[in-house]
Amino acid sequence: MTITIASPLVLLALMAPVVFLVRKVVVLAAVLTLLTLAAAAAMIAIAPDAATAQLLSLELRLSPLGRLAAVALLATAGVIVADVWLDEPAYNFFPTALGVGAVVVAVLLLTTPLATYAVLLIGLLLPVGSFTFQIHRNRSVEAAIRHFAFVSLGGTIGLAALALAASLPRDQPQSTFVLLVVVLYVAFALKLAVIPFHTHAALLAAEAPATALALYFGVLTPVTVIAFVQILTQAGLLPSLLQLAKVQDLLLGIGGLSAVGGALLATGATDLRRLVVCSVISDLGIALVGIGTFSGPGIVGGIAIALATGASATQQLLAAGTLERRADGGPPRAARAPLAAAAFVAGGIGLIGAPPVVAFPGRFYVELMAYSFATWLGAALVLATLLLLIAQLRVALGLFAEGLPSWRPERRPVAGIAGAVIFAGLLAGGIAPDAFLRPIAAFAEEFLRALRPL
Amino acid sequence: MVLLAAVALTTLLANSATRLRFTALAFFAVSISANVIAAGATTAAQVAVLAVAGLAAAGILFISARDGNYGEDPGWRLWVATLIAAIATPAAFASFRTITGEAVTDLPLFAADSGSVVVQVASFWLLSSGTAILVTARSAVRTSLGALLMLTGVQLLMRYAPGPQLELTIAVAWVELVVALTGAFLIVNERAVRE
Repeated sequence: MTITIASPLVLLALMAPVVFLVRKVVVLAAVLTLLTLAAAAAMIAIAPDAATAQLLSLELRLSPLGRLAAVALLATAGVIVADVWLDEPAYNFFPTALGVGAVVVAVLLLTTPLATYAVLLIGLLLPVGSFTFQIHRNRSVEAAIRHFAFVSLGGTIGLAALALAASLPRDQPQSTFVLLVVVLYVAFALKLAVIPFHTHAALLAAEAPATALALYFGVLTPVTVIAFVQILTQAGLLPSLLQLAKVQDLLLGIGGLSAVGGALLATGATDLRRLVVCSVISDLGIALVGIGTFSGPGIVGGIAIALATGASATQQLLAAGTLERRADGGPPRAARAPLAAAAFVAGGIGLIGAPPVVAFPGRFYVELMAYSFATWLGAALVLATLLLLIAQLRVALGLFAEGLPSWRPERRPVAGIAGAVIFAGLLAGGIAPDAFLRPIAAFAEEFLRALRPL
Repeated sequence: MVLLAAVALTTLLANSATRLRFTALAFFAVSISANVIAAGATTAAQVAVLAVAGLAAAGILFISARDGNYGEDPGWRLWVATLIAAIATPAAFASFRTITGEAVTDLPLFAADSGSVVVQVASFWLLSSGTAILVTARSAVRTSLGALLMLTGVQLLMRYAPGPQLELTIAVAWVELVVALTGAFLIVNERAVRE
């Protein structure tokens, strides 16, 4: 049997039902899940450049961005799985994580926009099972239903827009294609929970378990951003965007609104998870501004922000889960779990995009391009960053309000160690940004060629 | 045109149903009508996939009801959803239809037309109705119905998209199944919370 670029996808998709069958034996399910994620990531990491394969009649292709994002997101999923296994066992989580892993790989490898979008939609619905827990004590079912409605609405509208764009002959009026791009953008905005389509995310943040939120905002959200730019590139819709400057204004306007609005909501966040989710919404707005500038640095920055935000959000959400559990109903305090608190604060550095972590160059590029596009847009992004800084500082000070009775780490410091691993990765990327940004730059070149074909 | 009327009527039946089991049966009828309307642009393999997906999705919803009484009474939402769909369908058709040089003069009574007008109208109707139902839904029952109707509309639009048709049909059929399963999971949980 030969190993092709389809192998990691097939492996993940086949192991998900196997792990589902053994899910109640938590140790076995967790070990199988971790081994499968590691094997899939390794296969992608060592695959030759631009490797291709056929799955039925669908073409798969490994791009440099696909390799970077797949390895990063599968590693993030692995960290979350380890946290669930060691800190907060939830047996249904393991098959969900493998399903999400399969979706991530499929989205990054598929070259047919409709198939990519359909797979993404399945992936965004998979965590619904993990969102609901102790249903009689909280509103997690209501939150899951609202998420289901938003994702279904956004997903099917986007799927319809893509099907229409593919089926219409190219001699149709340009305005039709422009309208389809706008519909597609709104569809992605619904799925990404950017402002003003964020209400379901706010409820989820309050009611869903932290690990399920980490899987969604840490793994699925970044892959949704990448899917958005990939689909725009592959569907041949980009040239029509240049026909109407107002469309670009709309893209930038929604991105800017989400950046500032998310940061404002973060400053008023009353709990740790809400702070993280609002910070993610703000960062996604900044990423969308970057993509909306239709410039190389903007696109590189936008995708880099999405990936770095996913990792930092995972770090903070896992730490938030531990801090809340150890607080026993009271306010979360660093004294109960010093390492988890440290991981939470360090994750904030990533979400703000401060140096030396890898989130910094992406944010720098986007803010630079935003300023060159319009002063008010650049100022809005800087304001969003400042507000996020205030929000993160406020919560960090609250965590350490009672000081630390001792510097001894908590028992089973799983979230702390997971946070340290993620932060080390982000730091390594910040020290050698070229390795992180070059694959994204290769994709940005492809995007710009599709935008202005010769 | 008769097939178009069948799609519209079955959609209205699904929209107005107060019991989930009836909703599931009406959705299956919508799925069959939609497949018949686009039969001319569909291969036997695609028909098989679509039929299985429609049956499975309807079956999952039917079973999740657990008894004949459970459901969501749409109340005034039925009329709002119908009104929105009635306004949005012609607007969507005017904005997104395939524009050809020839005027469409021949719309057969019992079969699909050669210019795909009937299929496009049917798909826009399903998409508009699904959106209206989704937006006005209060529980997982009508949320699932709205999503499934929209996916049926997407399946119609996809018949004219170039590319690997069977594979794309299978991909969207899987989406349909996942939507039905997620909807059923939420319906069961929602009922457990209420009771």
